[in-house]
Amino acid sequence: MSALRTSRPARIGQYLALLAYLVFLAFPFLWLVSTAFKPAPELASLHPTWIPEEPTLANFRQAFDEQPLLRAAGNSLVAALAAALIAVLIATPLAYVTARHRGRLATAATGWVVISQAFPFVLVIIPLFLILKNLHLINSVPGLVMVYVVWSLPFALWMLMGYVRAVPAELEEAAAVDGAGRLRTLVSVTAPLLAPGIVATALFAFVTAWNEFFFALVLLKTPEKQTLPVVLTHFLGAEGVADLGPLAAAAFLATLPSLVVFAVLQRRIAGGMLAGAVKS
Amino acid sequence: MRRRLPTTLTGLTAALALLLTGCAGGDGHPDDGVVRLRFQSLAWQKESVDANKQLVAEWNAAHPKVQVDYVQGSWDSVHDQLLTSFEGGEAPDIIHDASDDLADFAYGGDLADLRPLLPERLRADIPARSWETTTFGEGVHGIPFLQEPRMIIANRKILEASGVRIPTPEKPWSWSEFRQIARDLTTAMGPGRYAVAWPLKEPVSVSLNLGVSAGGGLFHRGADGRVTVDFTEADAIVPGTVHDQVVTDRTAPRTTLGSGGSDTLPGFFAGKYAMVPLGFAYRQQIAQQAPKGFAWTVLPAPAGSEGLAQGVSPQTLSIAEDSPYKKEAMEFLDFFLRPANMVRLARGDWMLPTGRAALADPSLRTARDGWAVGAEVAERLRPAPAQGVRGYPEWKDKVATPAFQEYYSGAIDGAELRRRLVEDGNRVLARYQRK
Repeated sequence: MSALRTSRPARIGQYLALLAYLVFLAFPFLWLVSTAFKPAPELASLHPTWIPEEPTLANFRQAFDEQPLLRAAGNSLVAALAAALIAVLIATPLAYVTARHRGRLATAATGWVVISQAFPFVLVIIPLFLILKNLHLINSVPGLVMVYVVWSLPFALWMLMGYVRAVPAELEEAAAVDGAGRLRTLVSVTAPLLAPGIVATALFAFVTAWNEFFFALVLLKTPEKQTLPVVLTHFLGAEGVADLGPLAAAAFLATLPSLVVFAVLQRRIAGGMLAGAVKS
Repeated sequence: MRRRLPTTLTGLTAALALLLTGCAGGDGHPDDGVVRLRFQSLAWQKESVDANKQLVAEWNAAHPKVQVDYVQGSWDSVHDQLLTSFEGGEAPDIIHDASDDLADFAYGGDLADLRPLLPERLRADIPARSWETTTFGEGVHGIPFLQEPRMIIANRKILEASGVRIPTPEKPWSWSEFRQIARDLTTAMGPGRYAVAWPLKEPVSVSLNLGVSAGGGLFHRGADGRVTVDFTEADAIVPGTVHDQVVTDRTAPRTTLGSGGSDTLPGFFAGKYAMVPLGFAYRQQIAQQAPKGFAWTVLPAPAGSEGLAQGVSPQTLSIAEDSPYKKEAMEFLDFFLRPANMVRLARGDWMLPTGRAALADPSLRTARDGWAVGAEVAERLRPAPAQGVRGYPEWKDKVATPAFQEYYSGAIDGAELRRRLVEDGNRVLARYQRK
């Protein structure tokens, strides 16, 4: 226990380091918010301010006037929710089996998970495009969802395996002793204990799909199906020139769903992370 | 809550399945005899997007049997997106891009040779030097339609107060005169202020394209068709001027060397810099963001032995080789690029049209916002030196960009710049030209 005690100066140092880290993390977002509310002349000021001197909603109006942000957000939401749900539905039983029944197959499966993380987008995009074309899934949200599921599945599986291992097998054995069948044990004992992990994994898959740009750019052809990250690039011109105000306004709105979901599920995620991290 | 988890999951699954089913399909081409062309445009500024959409709407209203679907692409990722689409046989029928991005697609057989399709009016309206930018081997693989020279945007008050000679397209500054005027201006402006700010985040295209005015070309094609790099005295004039302004004269700040054009505007508006060499289309940003009462003017870039000549890579419109409707696509492009329409596109993008008839339009000859100066320079524009050079992207990224950056910041001298561009550069280019 004494190892955990820290002196007062050390504690102050820790808090200062934490504060610096928080500022580092928050800076880009706060600057984005500040930019979103600034009129065009203030964006080109030599001495930019944190608080806009003449705050305006013009950037938001322009962003909505010029691009179909709501429709794109709807597409992103459907794709991200579907990807998260399907990834969790596949990964949960797979993680359970791989974590509980260790053998050659489980080792091979986890090896595959690690290797599959090493492939960059550009390497897989053309073969993937051809496969989806043969399946008539180009320019369709289900095709995009399929890609997102495949893309997030290895890491989702990896995460969930940690959570499954953290659930003591003795609890399942106790349920069996009490007369519960296999299914009953899984539904009534294991699933509730795994819930925080499932939520954390779903959130990971959701945010990955919500932010994803390149697959959506390549796979979706008609404007009606484009997702939010693709539409955001319409505020960018050649050689890095950007319509900064509307871009910041739209990007700020695009970050809100992730923030809201994290805020609502924060406790559950923290619990899930602990459950996955601490082994009994 | 715990007992409800499976029920919630089932409900969510069902709802999403319904939503996804609603999102699927819709890509069919109804067998109603209507040809549907997909036109991917990279227009992004509101005025430009509006002009594009209006023209498409006008075409669609007049041609019920050939309908054009407008799709907005992005400059940021167009190369990778097109590459994938071509490989998968799903490219748009009509493709908006820039001439310096076409070489791989043209040589790869992805873009149709437009020679048998081009109407005579369009062929004659666009000058031969512009057609050169989209000619790869024997074929013409794009219609060059908008171009953007680099100009000097200047703070009118500072310039007039200093008493320096204001250049015009008829009587531009020479590069040596530009250097002297920068010295005079910096002295007149006082400490902490500079005559010129060079935004050189992309130093290679600026150096090469402006270098054309002094007779630079850097890339030389031999009798066997092989391209080599040679850094002659003429090639050294423009980079030498920039280097001396930053390192020797201190008339240009070192801090903007890594900046993009937009990043220099706050300093320009605040009077910290009197002049900024920028692409012609930056005028739109300046008009939008300049503080009230800020007076700015557009000057031609300095001239050398080749006068006001500059290299450019025009924006282009191409037709995919795989498109089954090439003839219809060209009919649309012929309409889209009629002189009056080309003027609308040029004004929307704050750029210059390549077509002679459009360039003569009075709205592009007005002194307002510097249009007239640009229009006069347009007649002297030439294909960018790097046009069609295979291996140029690697030469640029691995050799030329770091070499120019170090040279402009004073880390290396002219001899070392020359050695790297030529010796290291030719090794890179040779790999692309092995037979």
